[in-house]
Order: sequence, then C-alpha cells, then structure tokens
Amino acid sequence: MTDTTIPRGNTLPRIRPWLGIAAAASFVVASVMALFWAPTDAVQGDVYRILYIHVPLAWLSYLAFVIVFLASVGWLWTKNELFDAIAVSSAEIGVLFTGLFLIAGSIWAKPTWGVWWTWEPRLVTTAIMFVMYVGYLLLRGLSTDFSRRATRAAIFGIIAVIDVPIVHLSVLWANSLHQLPTVLRAGGSPALDSSMLLTLMVSLGAYTLIYAYFMTARISIERARQGRLWTT
Amino acid sequence: MIDRIGLVAVRELRAERRQPDGVVAAVTFIAVLVLLESLVVGPQTARDPDVASALFWLALAFATILATMRSFDRELEDDALEGLVALPGGRDALFGGKALSLTIVLLLVAAVGGILSIVLLDLRVALPLHLTLVVLLGVLALPPIVIVDVVLALRLRARAALVPILALPVLVPQLVAATRGASAALSGDAIGALSWAGLLFAFAVVYTVIGLTIVPAAIE
Repeated sequence: MTDTTIPRGNTLPRIRPWLGIAAAASFVVASVMALFWAPTDAVQGDVYRILYIHVPLAWLSYLAFVIVFLASVGWLWTKNELFDAIAVSSAEIGVLFTGLFLIAGSIWAKPTWGVWWTWEPRLVTTAIMFVMYVGYLLLRGLSTDFSRRATRAAIFGIIAVIDVPIVHLSVLWANSLHQLPTVLRAGGSPALDSSMLLTLMVSLGAYTLIYAYFMTARISIERARQGRLWTT
Repeated sequence: MIDRIGLVAVRELRAERRQPDGVVAAVTFIAVLVLLESLVVGPQTARDPDVASALFWLALAFATILATMRSFDRELEDDALEGLVALPGGRDALFGGKALSLTIVLLLVAAVGGILSIVLLDLRVALPLHLTLVVLLGVLALPPIVIVDVVLALRLRARAALVPILALPVLVPQLVAATRGASAALSGDAIGALSWAGLLFAFAVVYTVIGLTIVPAAIE
C-alpha cells in the first residue's frame, strides 16, 4: 500500500443526472405498458402483470452478481481500487434487488400457488444466493485493512458466482412448481405473446437503467470513501 | 510439492494426535445432534433414511468447520502460519496438507458418527458398500471449501459466525448430493447411490481445484 494517489475522473457525476432521467422516463413507460398496454393473461388474469417487476429484478440480481465476479477478478488481477468500488457497489445493489425479487415472487406465489413460500428449488436457491451475498457484505464489514478486505471479498465474490447458474437452471434440474425459463429457452424462441415480450423487454431496459444509476451513485460514494481512507 | 503436502499433513495429524480436541469436539457434536434429533422429531421420523442422512451430513459439515477452525487456531496460537507460508511453495503445501489431514480426520469422525447414527437410530443399511462409497466421496468434497472460507475469515471478529455463513451456502450442492446418496444407499437404491456418488466425486474435484487456485491468493 505505497501508492496513495487514486486517479479520479469526473465522468460518473456528469452522466448520473442523465442516467437518472433516462431511468425514470423508461420506468414510467414500462409501468404504463405493463399495467395498461400488455394483454391480460388467459390463465392467470391480471395477476401475471407482476412478471414485469419480478423478471427484471431476477435479471438484475444475476447481472449484479456477475459484475461482482468480474470486478473481483479485476481487483485480483490489477489491484486497482476502482474494481473494488464496483464490486462492493454491485453487491449491495444486488442484495437489494435479490431481496425485492424474493418479495415479488412471494406476492406472486400467494394467488397462483396458494402459499407465500414453498420449498421449491428456484425459491430456495435464490434465498441461498441472497444469504451468500449478505455473507459477502459481512465479510467486507468485518475486515478493517483496505487491501486485505478487498482481496478476501474478491475471492469470495469469485466463488459465490457459482450460485447464479444454479438458480437459473434449478427449475430444469429438479421437479419444480416454478415455471420453466420463458425467454432464455434452450433451442426455442420466447414462449410469450409479442406484446407481452415487448413490455418485458422495455421493463428489463428500465430496470437495467435504474441499476446503472444506482451503480454510478454508489461507486462515487465508495471512491470518496477510498480517498478518505488513503489520505488518513 | 507432494513431499511438502505430505509433510504438512503428517505435522497436522501429529498435532491432532497430541491434542485431539478438534476430533473430540466434532464427534461429540455429531453425537449430540443425533440424540437431539430423535428427541425432537421422535424416533420414528428420526429413522427415516432422508431425515437421518440429512442430519448426518449437516452435522458433518458443521464438524468440518469446527475441525478446520481448530486446525488454524493452533497455527495462530503458535505463530506458525507465517513461517509455513514463507517457505517456497508454502501456501500450496499449506492448503494441500490441511485438506489431506482434515480428510483423514473427517473420515474418522464420519465413521464414528455414522456408527453412532446407525446404532442409536436403529437404522437398517441396505447397501453398506454403497453407503461407504458415498461417505468417502462426500467427505472428500468437504474440506477444500471450508479451508478457503476459514482462510478468508482468518483473524476477523465474529469468525465463528462468519465461516458457516460463507461455507454452508457454497456447500449446498455437495450436501444435497451426499444426503440423497446416503438415503439411497440406506433404502437399497443402488443406481441412485452410485449416481449421487459420481456427482460427489465431481464436486470433490471442482472444490479441490478451486481451493488450490484460490487459497494461495487468499493467504496474505
């Protein structure tokens, strides 16, 4: 830890307001499409509309933890503090989105399956993924030395990503109440009506922009914290 | 490298023989859990192959955590870790030696814990050889991941709480396979037991490769 200068550009603060506007606008468009434009499902009725929240939250929790993995590899490879800032930011946002993903799934399960929670592979593996990344944040919180904390967390971030494909494929590997993959299906086109699919894609885009907005804000905070750490 | 791994493993086993508190704690832990299980769920449910297998593997996972933490505590108490890591190839040898010695210790713990479970719960073992194979491969898959997590949490506050939180979710596939395999062997499903044993072998290989790749980077 001899290098005490951290180059900091001002790109993130410049793009953040624009990202915020884009995220808010696309969220409004996605919500209107999900609530009023997309047709009612023939089997589930209007209850199915929670899909437009649930699936983007699932996608973002996968994305967030894959970013943690990539940033962890980046830290171990280069020891550049930016990668550690990206990893912790993505992990915190990923834990938030995974928690919301579980809650949205539970709200959807009550009218369709009749229970808030059932011991079903997708649910259990998602809950395990949530606990894993809470553990990741705990590991960071308990370490005091910057470099050691970043290295320990990076190693765990690399191991923990194993759970992402397990969560996604759990519905194929075991008998499951949860429906099989609808969009990313092996050897087939998405099993959704075209207007439903378009609404889902707009929702995915909107939530991804929200994730990007949160990331820019959280990375800026982490970089400022790193700066204080190095100067004290 | 093999020589160094052997040296560390022999040193670990000698330390365990002189001061067998890790083994004693692990075996006692399994015995307490088996007794509690039959009290809590009732002897009839406790004898169910699925229930008995699940409890045995969960107990063994916790016993692995106990034994591994004890093994590293011994190094820290004697300030031996720094010396060991400073040797050429010391980090790889440390991981390999610990993994080997813990596997041997855990096989002993699993044998004693397994016999205790069979006797106390009055289990009928339909396929003893298949059960032995499942236990052997299941034990092989346990130490590498637990060692990684113990190393990550080394010298941290609340380490005793943190290590299970980090290790158990990663061990889920191994625990599921080991429980299903043991249950199949207890109930006489030879094909099921062998399929799960194959999966356990794959986990053992994957976890060992992860350990060998990551532990040297994790030890600072």
